[in-house]
Amino acid sequence: MIAPKHILGTFDEALTSLRNNLLMMAGLAERCLDRAIKGLLQRDDNLCATVIADDEEIDQLEKQIDKYGVDILLRYQPVASDLRRVVSAMKLSPNIERVADQATNIARRARKLNQHPALPEAELIRPIQAHAVSMFKDAVDAFAREDVDLARRVIPRDKDLDEMNRQANKRLIESMARDPDQLRGYLNLIFVSRCLERVGDHATNIAEEAVYAAAAEDIRHQPVAASF
Amino acid sequence: MKVMPSPDPSVFERSDGAALDAVETEPAPPLTFQVKALSMWYGGKQAIENVSLDVVSKAVTAIIGPSGCGKSTFLRCLNRMHELVPRTRMEGTVLLDGEDLYLTNVNPAIVRRRVGMVFQKSNPFPTMSIGENVIVGLRLNGVRDKKFLNERLEKSLRMAALWDEVKDDLHKPGTSLSGGQQQRLCIARALAVEPEVILMDEPCSALDPIATAKIEELIHELRSQYTIVIVTHNMQQAGRVSDFTAFFYMGRLIEFGTTTKIFTNPTEKQTEDYITGRFG
Repeated sequence: MIAPKHILGTFDEALTSLRNNLLMMAGLAERCLDRAIKGLLQRDDNLCATVIADDEEIDQLEKQIDKYGVDILLRYQPVASDLRRVVSAMKLSPNIERVADQATNIARRARKLNQHPALPEAELIRPIQAHAVSMFKDAVDAFAREDVDLARRVIPRDKDLDEMNRQANKRLIESMARDPDQLRGYLNLIFVSRCLERVGDHATNIAEEAVYAAAAEDIRHQPVAASF
Repeated sequence: MKVMPSPDPSVFERSDGAALDAVETEPAPPLTFQVKALSMWYGGKQAIENVSLDVVSKAVTAIIGPSGCGKSTFLRCLNRMHELVPRTRMEGTVLLDGEDLYLTNVNPAIVRRRVGMVFQKSNPFPTMSIGENVIVGLRLNGVRDKKFLNERLEKSLRMAALWDEVKDDLHKPGTSLSGGQQQRLCIARALAVEPEVILMDEPCSALDPIATAKIEELIHELRSQYTIVIVTHNMQQAGRVSDFTAFFYMGRLIEFGTTTKIFTNPTEKQTEDYITGRFG
């Protein structure tokens, strides 16, 4: 990402530190998402509790990244690709933090679900989770590797995720009608599916920032076809 | 060597984001200078190599680049100032409002009246008062009308944002002012002869941040009436004050474009390396 070396070694160190914190934050968010879904599907309250506890660390990283970013802007007044990297990092971190928030929401719903008998419909969540997590991972990878093509490929996948969420909701509403006694459980699964759909939205935002950071192109708010 | 045309009018905008009125009604912005295939030598050493560049009217063009890259020399070619240095030689053409500045029948003194210059170090005439410094150019051009001179004196000092600070001390020596005030006095002196263009060669490099800010504010005010070309080593300053930026390296024009483009997404790797501090 950062080559060749800057005349000021401290500037390179500051940029590296910003980037490392961001990637660490993304890694933690991905782990939280993974654990939250495992907590749901494996009915493991301990995993859910870990996710909820880890959210605090991610919140602190968000603040730290903001501080590092402001410090770099203040001290070094970066321009061109350096400026884009710093600005994008500062715009990425709230998206990553919200992904972690979604993981926390899923963990909370999972704990409620775990208090009742297992619902076979919980399996509906598995493909949605796989799709959302892969979008998030690819978006972060695209930013880290400055891979514009990968970033662009992430964006249309959000439509598929929206459709998966719609289909799952439809199935769960049918189940509610069939088995009103489990209404709360089905409602919790609808919320979980909605959380994963939001992860896809954040992954899209991250991918758009990755394109800006690498290619100085603002592709936000365009029809999907236009982003190719 | 690539010829650098005027930047795309569709992206012609102030650094503060406001589009220039001229562009809304005209397909291409008017040009003050059209420099074509300019080369320049000091003795046997070539300082500028085949530079072509258009300078847009009523806008600020910044020239950046490392020391010795030819940016000050280029600036001096815009008002034939380099001719004051012995053993210089120039090739190519410099058109000012479409007229060749280097035709044999063009008087360099007239050129320098149309194209004023402000230097790195403020240089008020040490034996003259503040007032005399401002109107010396007009006096040298034979103007004797006192009322006219007084009016022009006040107007120039007001335009240079110096009037309020010196209006009661016009008789005092120009050198009694602070460094920043002296530099604004030199700008007032340049403005007094009503030039079309103001060339600034690192005008803030010897000033403190407050005096620098005042000069930058002044540039901002003046650009609605004058074409300004500024050489600066301070890239943040170039980013703040200019509409267009040209990057020179080893006597060659590497890249020219809107300041926003140059400082967010330069096309040339050499430009990127220089402005981000990854040079050499």
